Amino acid sequence: MNFRNYLTDKSASVGITFGAWCVILLFFGAFRTSAEEIVIISVIYFLAAFGRLLYEYFRKRRFYNDLVARSGQLDQKYLLSEMLETPDFFEGKLIHEALREACASMCEQVADYRRVSEEFREYIELWVHEVKLPLASLMLMSHNNPATDERYTEQLHRIDGYIENVLFYARSENAEKDYLIKEVSLQRALVNTALRCRSELLQHRVNLRSEIPDVNVTTDGKWLEYILGQLMGNSLKYLSPDREPEICVYTEIFPDKIILHFRDNGIGIPAADLPRIFDKSFTGENGRIYAKSTGMGLYIVQNLCLRLGHSIRAESVQGQFTDIVITFGRDTLTRIE
Amino acid sequence: MSKIYIVEDDAALCRELSELLQDAGYQTQSLTDFANARENIVASGADLILLDINIPHGNGELLLKQIRRECDTPVIMVTSRTSEADEVLSMSYGADDYITKPYHPAILLLRISAVLKRSKGQPGQPVKSTYRGLTISLAKGSLSDGTQEFIFTKNEMIIFSLLLDNRGRIVTRDQIMTALWDNNEFVNDNALTVNISRLRAKLAECGLENAIETRKKQGYILL
Repeated sequence: MNFRNYLTDKSASVGITFGAWCVILLFFGAFRTSAEEIVIISVIYFLAAFGRLLYEYFRKRRFYNDLVARSGQLDQKYLLSEMLETPDFFEGKLIHEALREACASMCEQVADYRRVSEEFREYIELWVHEVKLPLASLMLMSHNNPATDERYTEQLHRIDGYIENVLFYARSENAEKDYLIKEVSLQRALVNTALRCRSELLQHRVNLRSEIPDVNVTTDGKWLEYILGQLMGNSLKYLSPDREPEICVYTEIFPDKIILHFRDNGIGIPAADLPRIFDKSFTGENGRIYAKSTGMGLYIVQNLCLRLGHSIRAESVQGQFTDIVITFGRDTLTRIE
Repeated sequence: MSKIYIVEDDAALCRELSELLQDAGYQTQSLTDFANARENIVASGADLILLDINIPHGNGELLLKQIRRECDTPVIMVTSRTSEADEVLSMSYGADDYITKPYHPAILLLRISAVLKRSKGQPGQPVKSTYRGLTISLAKGSLSDGTQEFIFTKNEMIIFSLLLDNRGRIVTRDQIMTALWDNNEFVNDNALTVNISRLRAKLAECGLENAIETRKKQGYILL
């Protein structure tokens, strides 16, 4: 709010002041008032009018400018009333009170939804733990019983994969910090993932090559294993029929970062689809033609990476390869040698 | 024969787990009285404890902390909680390993045998083992009869030590494969067959003809 806006806003009031002055002039004319008296009275009249305008301007300016500035700075605008001082003029008090009430009710709503979503996530976690018990029993039964074969275990692994998706979707969407960041061996994370996907990799005759040196990255180990599992699942889904399938996992190490490449020689991604593969529910050409795709896997993966502070991107040439590249930051200051 | 104590309140899972472990040549006992869990576990004199986190009358992590005050029997946490925080907490309370449900049976067996082997050896010193008069050095990857040293490849050593740990029992291809993959060697079926025949040839060089026997559709056994 500057004086010009203020004056524009008050143009009607200024107009009325001038109108009243014209009427007064008419009266002065009628009563044959002397020129000096007219000048003196007009000066007093205009000083009073202008003075009032200025007084009002300075009184309101502080409150409104504060309001605009704070509102611009705030990330969550509904916390605005907390930041403002109570103004000393009546209109301001009304606005401040209304704003305070609106903000309080918004805070309540936000807290409500946050609680509901947190409870939902907690229930999902609980449910996942519950459903994993019979699943674990079934896997053991299928292993202990010589009559059942690999096909049973395979289907159980699929169920396990879908259950993990729900769990990590809930985790990735939730605002609460439910990960734990520490030094994790990249090699170990890949080995654990590979062990879990082993039967599928072998069944599709995929050659898994790991060229990861013995390095640690700062991340949540469980989340990283899920991410690697998703990438492996994708590679397995989009194998190229023309050549011997291969997945190669390797790293580039810099002083300030570690870059992990997860590269397969599958069918690749069409260039037009490439920028959108991390979008929610995006299935693309490959998803429609080759496999049942929900468009959620890479979306969850990207979400998890963002929350852990890793960047993720994809490179691909259709018909040749797909390379998912994850960059882990390296904080040299906090590492205790 | 090592005795494994199972703390798992899901009856079906507990039964299957016992069967798996018994088939693998372990003696098992499982906890039924969860109200006095600590006393029962400590009194059992088991060589290894499989401990769930979600148990009646308390929490596995706290139970672990209590057990650790009284004995240092190795403990593997077996749980459906896949969170890093739970794993870090368990390890800080003194767990030897942490496995999440549902697990691949071969992985569970591998972890159990690794933890048992570690707990039997002296801390900080590699486990010294011998086979028919030959001394095995895992660090060097070699077998020695005192006069001559036979160098084994990494894969051959992994397979041989797994067979040796389970000497006299059948080791399935699945178990061997799991052990190799666990050591960052992602071999396929054919490569496994090649590795085993190379190991056989190498053992023959050491004067151990027919040390490994094939059991059709079951696996291999080191005599």
